[in-house]
Amino acid sequence: MIKKIKIAFFSLLSLAVVSSAYADITFVSWGGAYTAAQQKGYINNWNGKVNVENYNGGLGEIKAQVEAGNVTWDVVDILPDQGVTGCDEGLFVKLDQSEFIDDMIAGPVSECVAPQIFWAYTAFYSKSAFPGKKPKTIKDFFDVKKFPGKRAIHTWANATIEMALVADGVKHKDVYKVMSTPEGIDRAFAKLDTIKDHVIFWSAGSKPLEMISSGEAVMALAYNGRIGAAILTDGKDFDYIWDATVLEQEYLAIPKGSKNEAEARKFVAHAASAESLAGVTKHITYAPMRKSALKVVQKGEPWYHTGVDVMPHVPTSKKIIKKAVIADPMWWADNGAEVSERFGAWKGN
Amino acid sequence: MSSEILTTDGIPLKQSLKKAERKNKIRAFLLVTPLLLFIFFTFIVPIGSMLTRSTDDSYINKIFPNTFKVYQKWDRQGLPPEEVYAAMFIEIKKASGFEIGKASTRMNYAKSGWKSMIKKSKRKFKKIGEDEGPFKDKMIEVDRKWGDPEFWLALGVMVDPKTYEYYLNSIDKRYDSEKNIIDQPENRQIYVKTWIKTFKVSILVTLFCFMLGYPIAYLLATLPLKYSNLLMICVLLPFWTSLLVRIVVWMVILQQKGVFNNLMVISGLIADENRWQLMYNQTGTIIVMTQILLPFMVLPLYSVMKTISPNYMRAALNLGASPLHAFWKIYMPNSVPGISAGGMLVFVIAIGYFITPELVGGKDGQMIGNWIGYHLKTTLNWGLSAALGGILLVVMTVLYWIYNKLVGIENIKLG
Repeated sequence: MIKKIKIAFFSLLSLAVVSSAYADITFVSWGGAYTAAQQKGYINNWNGKVNVENYNGGLGEIKAQVEAGNVTWDVVDILPDQGVTGCDEGLFVKLDQSEFIDDMIAGPVSECVAPQIFWAYTAFYSKSAFPGKKPKTIKDFFDVKKFPGKRAIHTWANATIEMALVADGVKHKDVYKVMSTPEGIDRAFAKLDTIKDHVIFWSAGSKPLEMISSGEAVMALAYNGRIGAAILTDGKDFDYIWDATVLEQEYLAIPKGSKNEAEARKFVAHAASAESLAGVTKHITYAPMRKSALKVVQKGEPWYHTGVDVMPHVPTSKKIIKKAVIADPMWWADNGAEVSERFGAWKGN
Repeated sequence: MSSEILTTDGIPLKQSLKKAERKNKIRAFLLVTPLLLFIFFTFIVPIGSMLTRSTDDSYINKIFPNTFKVYQKWDRQGLPPEEVYAAMFIEIKKASGFEIGKASTRMNYAKSGWKSMIKKSKRKFKKIGEDEGPFKDKMIEVDRKWGDPEFWLALGVMVDPKTYEYYLNSIDKRYDSEKNIIDQPENRQIYVKTWIKTFKVSILVTLFCFMLGYPIAYLLATLPLKYSNLLMICVLLPFWTSLLVRIVVWMVILQQKGVFNNLMVISGLIADENRWQLMYNQTGTIIVMTQILLPFMVLPLYSVMKTISPNYMRAALNLGASPLHAFWKIYMPNSVPGISAGGMLVFVIAIGYFITPELVGGKDGQMIGNWIGYHLKTTLNWGLSAALGGILLVVMTVLYWIYNKLVGIENIKLG
């Protein structure tokens, strides 16, 4: 009964929307510079009408649409955990992955997703803050004696745990093995303790860049695309610490019951092509998930829209990915809550 | 009998009147029905469903009925017997991927690791037939966590369809496998501290709002109109400015390399290396929240003070009271309804505040609202969110009751 009421309620709601959404495809993404890059990278050259909308992530809206049987979104840009859960719960349709499945640097996380980009948590600093010796490794980030000054990190636990372990001497490829033991987590927090009095926290993605610019902090963790834009477009004197960079995946999926499913499938195939992924990189320095897209970029250098070489800014380029950690969404699905509570306790004490 | 008054139709007058009144009553009720329905659906239903969610554990019991039945018989020593394994095996196979996903999320709250273990098992059990028992060793082969008694013990907290576990979690307690209440491991104890912090911050913010707001409201109420209008605009303008804009401005002012610290350093009051940390901690949260909530104190105070006749004070002074005495004995008591309204308003808003602590709270300024938001959005542990919210609701009700006993609810006045 309650379900029926819910369905009735949501159908009424979506009735109001449906009249306005008469475009060939409704593409839903996160907005901002990222969606602008998608627009320029592959939406503009798609020969059909695409109606771009923004959302704040999560499966809530998709679930409501699918349950109400009135799906107005045709293609959605999602995080890996959404890709897993949404596929399990039957919210997304299965895709033909034969085109790209052997060409991917990691994943795919489920049968319902097509590759987009890696975005990364990266440490960076302002060159003017260190006129002499520059920090090069994540060990330097955790070494407040050698490089004194405040560190700006985000208020949640993701990526910080991985970085602390690498700084404590764990090999990049063993990070999740160590994290899966209770002693491993203790070890990460013990390492975090060493910088605790030198940490300030941010929660909005633009803050770390401001903090470094104003001198509030000398080193910070931030999303690599933001750092890339600050260096390449705004001409800031920032530099990355390409060590223990934590790569997070980003996918496309089609909600089950999409009214333009056939068209949406074609669009996803187009959006996941090597050329399209490379095209996104032209406007934001997130990394394509397909190996062949990197080749397209390399062949076309200078590739970035301002006419400089973009590869040194792309976190999957050969040199960088060797010392990176690819985040494991399944580990975080298992342990996220527990580690986050512990991180919260650690922060507040 | 003979005294009964009849209308011209021969019906007793009383009855006829009642009939006419009933019509009116129904009409009146119909008029308020939309409002009642609105309140019912937007207030009573969500709160009700939140409270049911906070104790509901029926889903997992629906997916694993037999497992829990045989589990009850197990003595909780070592690993459970084969029949528990077999029941679990068959029920994992039987459930749909969707049901398993949802159930594994619930199990993961009790012990981290269940989620991947159940999903992996769901996938790999496909290759094992239902008649290929015994299953114990086969399951351990699929995922060695099946051979870890810790996971089996964690199952014990879920055996009833009703649970208080979420409420226990909200105060850093939990059940052990026999449903005895024990403490959470020390490094996960976060909620009691956060509760205390939430009350501390809310009380301080209310207090500061009162200290800053009372003189402002007094000026607003007593100054000549042309000045008080200007002052009113000064109070309202920030109130109308976007919340985020105000928060960002505070960041610029208060951060270590910000305006305030720079001025202090330039004026030589503090040394350059000893700049104060006023942002991204509790201090920052209190300062910014005080500024944001100040109008909620000033406006009710003002509207009450406006009604206090200046003649009262004049009379008191005329009768020989000192200005302070007259204020204390005459003005202050008359403004109590405004203080109550402002205080309640600020406190109630502050205690559930979310966005300011999120942005400026940093190290130790996060409040309970931030954890509610975290569990709603990230872990999808809506039971725990609901329990935290439920506690907040109870606390507010109790405070309201105490307030009613002490001051009297009729003494609240918004204008």
